Amino acid sequence: MAKAKTPNSDPKKRRRDDRFFVLAMLSPYLALLMFFGVAPVAHALLLSFMDTIDWVFWGFTNYKFVLEDFRLTEAIMNVFSYVAIWLTMMVVGIAGLALLLDALPRRPAAILRTSFFLPGAITSSAIVILWLFLLDPAVSPYGGLFEALGWENRRQVVGHLGYPLVFALMAYLAYSGGWIVVIGGALKGISGEVIEAARVDGATGVQIATRIKLPMVWRSLALMAILSFANGIQMFVEPQLMALAGSTYSRPDWSVNQLAFQYAFNLGDFGASAAMSSMLLGVAIFISLCVVFGTRFYKMD
Amino acid sequence: MTFGKATAWAILGLAFLFYATPILWLLLAAFRDEPMLFSSGPFSIGSFEMFGQTWTNLTTYNDFQIGRWALNSAVYTIGGVTLSLVAVLPAGFVLATYNFAFRKAILVLTLIAMITPNTVVALPIFLQMQAFGLNNSYIGMIIATAFFPFGVYLAYIYYATSLPAGLIDSARIDGASRFEVFTKVALPLSKPLIALVAFFSFLANWSNYFLAFVLLTKDELYSLPIGLAVLVSSSGALGNDVASDIPINKPEAIVAAILVILPVLVLFLASQKYVRSGTLSGAEKG
Repeated sequence: MAKAKTPNSDPKKRRRDDRFFVLAMLSPYLALLMFFGVAPVAHALLLSFMDTIDWVFWGFTNYKFVLEDFRLTEAIMNVFSYVAIWLTMMVVGIAGLALLLDALPRRPAAILRTSFFLPGAITSSAIVILWLFLLDPAVSPYGGLFEALGWENRRQVVGHLGYPLVFALMAYLAYSGGWIVVIGGALKGISGEVIEAARVDGATGVQIATRIKLPMVWRSLALMAILSFANGIQMFVEPQLMALAGSTYSRPDWSVNQLAFQYAFNLGDFGASAAMSSMLLGVAIFISLCVVFGTRFYKMD
Repeated sequence: MTFGKATAWAILGLAFLFYATPILWLLLAAFRDEPMLFSSGPFSIGSFEMFGQTWTNLTTYNDFQIGRWALNSAVYTIGGVTLSLVAVLPAGFVLATYNFAFRKAILVLTLIAMITPNTVVALPIFLQMQAFGLNNSYIGMIIATAFFPFGVYLAYIYYATSLPAGLIDSARIDGASRFEVFTKVALPLSKPLIALVAFFSFLANWSNYFLAFVLLTKDELYSLPIGLAVLVSSSGALGNDVASDIPINKPEAIVAAILVILPVLVLFLASQKYVRSGTLSGAEKG
């Protein structure tokens, strides 16, 4: 008679079955991770040390070459100005608005939250096209404001605001609403008893927001900042598509990502492109991991 | 009303104006023709006739090419979302519920993949796809966009915090296989997670610009965001320095932009509660 099998009957077999099951469940993701994550990064690193015309190893020549490109410093400054403005707007705006909404009665909070959330639907090329209209005093709903400031046309508006602020406004409108909802969800999870106890102890609304609620959602804000930073340094669409408004606005080498793209696809210099991309990856990983492990927000076990 | 409350409402009112103005302007502008865009107030209402003329100009351009681009976007997005769900859910489940070798390494790699700039992987992916003959193909775009590490992060957090370990143990003791625990216990409890991953994956795929820009060079395969940029660029609709006889002007650019955002707008309206309740339900742990 066959022995009855239960899940725990044979520890060795159970472990073997566990391993097989884990591998089977992970295999679709691992295949994608290898093909679109690990292999491309390894490939990029390899290319960055190669002369991609004669396919010979030539050390740090590509890195030296791109570091000597006068456009790189300017592109780095552009991107960091944009990221600094955008991240400040995101952290202050999202935390502030999420906390204010959390203190409101349910109905007005829901209406306002939805109105903040919906512009997130405008992304990609559509957001640049929308903003090219918004920045044109002739058709813009902000035309009166621009007129009051003495800015008569789009060129003047863009010139006065500056590209980093223009791109930061585009990105803030596109991405902040979703995060306001997400942080709002996290705030909703805070125990009502804790808030009530603070209120009984005499805490004001501002004290409850800044000393109780904010510290309890800071990990979510850190996650938002990390993802936004990683997203911000790879900006491409916004400066690339400014050319839609005409050659005056064309900035094909405004960001590091655009420079890397130019090297690869306009000049055919894959090695230089890979070197620039690898440096960008190094910065992204270093800063993000510093924040991740510094704040210990990403607990794995 | 206290000074504090008045300040709070003033800030919220200004924020409302900031967020609502662009989208309201865009939707209203679709009903105005070019002269009216310039001559009337920014929130003036045009007519259905004006919208109809704009729509006709847009749809008759290159035999409704924008329709083809919309269809392409739908195929890329549905394919990408479906494949990403197939990969993400089982991976998130075992990462959250099993201890095995390289588990931490996979989680760290997932995190790094989440923050890896597109530009780093775009060129190698382009070369890999070229080697496999997958550039300029539906399947190539779908496979490339199916890689969604943020979805694995969401699934991992969800299963680690929302699926009681006792439930899995009980199912196993009752005779369920490992796979049945996933399909009959975990998956039925994963509706909020599936909605959330599908939402973010849809958003990432539908609005994907950079990867599509690199991988697609044939205009019949363009996605809607790429097509919109090409349409506006080739017509010079938004510029003052390009003359063009293409009947695509500012109103057509506005309606085309609305076509790009409409599916996402509908999705946003339908899914806000899932984003609110699910995204970071476990992120506050520790």
